Amino acid sequence: MKHIIGPIILAVFALLLLTTPGIAQTTFIFGAQGEPVDLDPAIITDGISSRITRQIYEGLVKYKGDTTEVVPALAEKWTVSPDGTVWTFTLQKNVKFHDGTPFDAAAVVWNFERWRFSKGPQHENVLKIGKTFEYYGKQFGGFDEKSIISKVEAVNPTTVRITLNSPQGPFLNNLGMFVFDIASPTAVQKHGTAFSKNPVGTGPFKFVEWKVGQEVILEANKDYWDKANAPKVQRSVIRNIKDSSQRLAALKAGEIHGMEGLNPDDVKVVRNDPNLQVILRPTNTTGYLAFNYKVKEFTDKRVRQAVANAINRKAIVDALYGGTGMVASQFQPPSLWGYNKELKDHPFDPQRARDLLRDAGFPQGLKEITWEDGRKEPLQFWYMPVSRPYYPNPKEIAEAMAADLARVGITVQLQTTDWAVYLDKRKNGQLPLYMLGWTGDNGDPDNFVCYFFCQPGASTEAFYANQPLAETLLQAQKMTDQPRRAELYRKAEQMIQDDIARLFIANNQPPLAFRKNVRGYVANPTGSEFFNTVYFQ
Amino acid sequence: MGQYAIKRFLTIVPVLAGISLIVFSFIHLIPGDPAVTMLGERATPERVAEIRAQLGLDKPLSTQYAIYIGKILQGDLGASILRGDPVLRDLVRRFPATVELAISAILIAISVGVPMGIISAVWRNSLFDGVSRLIALAGVSMPIFWLGLMLAWFFGVVLGWLPTGFRLGTDVTLAPVTNFQVLDSLIAGNTTALASSLRHLVLPAVALSTIPMAVIARMTRASLLEVLSQDYIRTAESKGLPQRSVILRHAMRNALLPVMTVTGLQVGRLLAGAILTETIFSWPGIGLWIYESIQARDYPIVQGATLFIATIFVTVNLITDLLYATVDPRIRYD
Repeated sequence: MKHIIGPIILAVFALLLLTTPGIAQTTFIFGAQGEPVDLDPAIITDGISSRITRQIYEGLVKYKGDTTEVVPALAEKWTVSPDGTVWTFTLQKNVKFHDGTPFDAAAVVWNFERWRFSKGPQHENVLKIGKTFEYYGKQFGGFDEKSIISKVEAVNPTTVRITLNSPQGPFLNNLGMFVFDIASPTAVQKHGTAFSKNPVGTGPFKFVEWKVGQEVILEANKDYWDKANAPKVQRSVIRNIKDSSQRLAALKAGEIHGMEGLNPDDVKVVRNDPNLQVILRPTNTTGYLAFNYKVKEFTDKRVRQAVANAINRKAIVDALYGGTGMVASQFQPPSLWGYNKELKDHPFDPQRARDLLRDAGFPQGLKEITWEDGRKEPLQFWYMPVSRPYYPNPKEIAEAMAADLARVGITVQLQTTDWAVYLDKRKNGQLPLYMLGWTGDNGDPDNFVCYFFCQPGASTEAFYANQPLAETLLQAQKMTDQPRRAELYRKAEQMIQDDIARLFIANNQPPLAFRKNVRGYVANPTGSEFFNTVYFQ
Repeated sequence: MGQYAIKRFLTIVPVLAGISLIVFSFIHLIPGDPAVTMLGERATPERVAEIRAQLGLDKPLSTQYAIYIGKILQGDLGASILRGDPVLRDLVRRFPATVELAISAILIAISVGVPMGIISAVWRNSLFDGVSRLIALAGVSMPIFWLGLMLAWFFGVVLGWLPTGFRLGTDVTLAPVTNFQVLDSLIAGNTTALASSLRHLVLPAVALSTIPMAVIARMTRASLLEVLSQDYIRTAESKGLPQRSVILRHAMRNALLPVMTVTGLQVGRLLAGAILTETIFSWPGIGLWIYESIQARDYPIVQGATLFIATIFVTVNLITDLLYATVDPRIRYD
């Protein structure tokens, strides 16, 4: 026995030292924060899954580079009827799905029908596995007869006509979302309920394998139709590295080439490392402070103005966003085309805040609030128990805001609770003053502003009612002329600002980290980016 | 012995029933609507209703429990809310990774802990004893996630000797047979995969082994010291037996009994430690899976995996008890 143990130990050590694997520079390895949920773009809603599906599939249109501008993808061009209800798309020719079947108008029609008709066998297959076509329902008003898309026809093999019940302003931006990428009808039918594990699209990368809990492996599509944009690496591997510090360690060790979800504290570390680089995702996210309009004190605009003047947002952003945040002057982040550049932000002016409070009848400051039903209670300031891109450190940010408010005489009690309870209370309009935010889906201002301000008086939005604002937004939603829509959204932002409906705190640009020799990675505000542009220097 | 085994086995039933009740209650003890918790700030009323129906939350509590137990008895642990995959299938697929890690860790713990304890006991109060007791103390008190990060940082980033995580390099392919990767590499005769597997195994196994190693070392030392002070040892010594033989053949046999029990109990700790270790080292076993599922509020997975781990823990303890009876013939259970 003794004579065996020695050699075995030696052999093990020899094996360990034998191979120090270097990663071939033909494989791009990306460290994701978690495992994908599914690889059927039509049913997923999360960024981890969509980062992978975006390499495998393509939609009719896509967002250009680091913007949300809509440009051609599988459709080379399109026209819209003057009333904005009939869209005609001319498709790219000679495009094939990864399974060899042709991409044509019939395939596009088939995909739209799969999403829309709830009794279709491939729609039912999705329901069977406990999933829904959630975004289709959300963006296009529902399924079957409820859908705003009333007809999708193949005019000829390369022309598709989509008819809407009524014009929809965000229609093109909606189509650019990863959920409306086109899947191979043959593959969907072949795999049925298992399609979400066997993805087949037309994209620059083909699916090879999903090692559960570990990684998804993709290989370059040698027959990719868009030769100018063919992938520059041979393989892409998306690894699941849950822990942020460990992701950074793997990046530093050269085991991966890029990563998402960098801690705000680590941004500096990466910037100081000669082998690494930081890429900021253009902001698409806004954190805000909401007033409850069932609280009497907050119905007085002077009080809201006082809060706006009291909080030093710049100091908060500088101290707590790791250098990637920006003070938000309005709801839309600057990356959206409805952003109002002319808007004048509330200045940080504690003295003015004190004056406003005095004028509003609170010379001694504000400690207690009165609900509409006469109930009195100390003023509670609610902060989220979870961190989000718009509020990376909700508790610290809340403490800073509370301290600023205290300086002008507004005394708040900081409160939080479980996330589900928090959302429940917010939904029921029970929070007097609270933090929350929004991350955009498709770069259309409608997706930001209308979601919150189109239903006046709703409890979800703390009973804020502004009929002219809602009408402006609904008008913009029905139009297809972008410059005119932009004008309306700028006007809407001004209305929100004039009324201090909310106080917008910060936008954040989520940081990504890469090895220094990685080139061509373009981070898109929506999180939809393509690995085919990536190469090593 | 046979009767004892049966009796001991029967005590498992109420324990498991209790565990199932606790696991079942999870979902109801957490404040807030589980469906809202899972869906977050964008929950639509329709989706909330769907999830509630899917989880059976719309039925009375007692009915829910009855359905739950009925399904478990048929081997149905439900399906993941997030991915729709059967929990049992994924459990079976992921468990080998955890077992591989746990076995490696316990082997390291025993092969380091026992000799360390023996030497400490024999040369009591020597420098070695002091150092080893210090190491043991550090081993039990050091948080695994910190140690794991430090190991990965030092050996992975600074020295570049070992990978910072995962089971296999991206440049290696290995078809899964048993999902025990070391075994699969041997079956396939793939030395590249074997080397890669072993290299990936080292850091997580070491991180996971520290607590059991320290506990085993301390228990071996204490237990051996006690045995060494007994009369039969003095007899053996006065008979002129060499010290080596006194310790290894006479003292150790008795001293090892409590060490065995403690080692059995460490299995539970290993599984708990695996959650942290696997998360830090991206090790695709059930620990990482549970962690991800807790974060995603994927209750069926959390429930199924917890029940599974509890069953394993109870079973290992049962086996330890039975071994105990075998090793020590004096012990009669009636």
